[in-house]
Amino acid sequence: MANLKDIRDRIKSVKSIQQVTKAMKLVAAAKMRKAQERMEEARPYADRLFNVIVSLLPDVDRSLLPLLDAREVRREALVVVTGDRGMAGAFNANIIRRAEEEIAELGRENVDLICIGRKGRDHFRVRGYDIAAQYADFWGELEFTHATSFGEEIVSHFVKDSVDRVRVVYNWFRNIAVQEIRVEDLLPLEYEEVNVTAVDRLYEPSKDEIVRSLIPRHLNVQVWKYLLESYASEQAARMVAMENATENAQDLIKDLTLDFNKARQAAITKEMLEIVSGAEALTTN
Amino acid sequence: MSTFALEIVTPTKTVDQGEVTYIRCPGADGLFGVMAGHTPGLFALSAGEIKVAKEGKSQYFATSGGFAEVTGEKVQLLLETIEASTEIDLERSREALERATSRLSSGEGDPDRTRRAIARAKNRLKVSQR
Repeated sequence: MANLKDIRDRIKSVKSIQQVTKAMKLVAAAKMRKAQERMEEARPYADRLFNVIVSLLPDVDRSLLPLLDAREVRREALVVVTGDRGMAGAFNANIIRRAEEEIAELGRENVDLICIGRKGRDHFRVRGYDIAAQYADFWGELEFTHATSFGEEIVSHFVKDSVDRVRVVYNWFRNIAVQEIRVEDLLPLEYEEVNVTAVDRLYEPSKDEIVRSLIPRHLNVQVWKYLLESYASEQAARMVAMENATENAQDLIKDLTLDFNKARQAAITKEMLEIVSGAEALTTN
Repeated sequence: MSTFALEIVTPTKTVDQGEVTYIRCPGADGLFGVMAGHTPGLFALSAGEIKVAKEGKSQYFATSGGFAEVTGEKVQLLLETIEASTEIDLERSREALERATSRLSSGEGDPDRTRRAIARAKNRLKVSQR
């Protein structure tokens, strides 16, 4: 049986690990709530913007808008949204696996990777994939300006004609327990024809111009949505992972405490046996 | 003076400005003003300064653009970013301007994007002087 001091030391170290996992869980919970709030805040803007675009599209000459131009897909850009850090269960591994499947479909040489988050970038860089653009180490201070700059990058990539389609692989946040990996088309922009009753109002400078200036903004807010969904999912995954770790630590502490008590009792018994046998030896003399 | 309701909606927050008497916006074709009773319409806004007059006082905001929807009852500004002149971080704007300027002169990155970044930074600096 292991000696008492060793067991005591292990219990101590497991307890301190448990404290860390517990704290990480709480931090992840707070960050997840924050991301959820931000998603709520973005909704009125995003919805309104898209409604305006869709309501104006029927009156707009679409040939003027390269962002709507659906062409045969030979090359595509794949935006892979991962976290900067691990300790979130299979969060990053799952998204990377899905991204690899998507890449395999068109062939590695036909896919430009846009890696958002350090984990994805590191994974693909080590394996020698072509990375067209990458962003890492920003999640801690995530702001809307990040979405704007990623959005602009994506648009310029598409417009320069180097790719026929842009898709995003990200974790969609359903709730704390469930995050779904989704693959969505970002460009060319998809929309449904709607018939809106014409409103008599001014359009300045023109309907075309308005749509043209709003589409990039719409994409920015879409990117913002993907970032927030992914961030909330990452934190939720981390929360669950840390919850499990805390429970495992608790089990370990229980087992170790049992071992400790057994060892302690064994030591006491042994000592008593020594004393008794010592005393016996005296009396028999 | 008659007033109208103004609401500013951005991806990160929605601000109800309450009843205002006048706003001046950076339209794609130049500045334009809106007062109560303005013709309904949809107006594209570029990066620039927005002036809001409320209870005889003027407030200035920097925006990177969006659009304005004017209806009979109210005006809604959908903007990508909005910062009141009092809350602009001067230091950050200056740094952004320097970064973008050096990017442009070194020919690094997409020049269109860099020019837009310069325009945004200059606008913020200008509005913060109010």
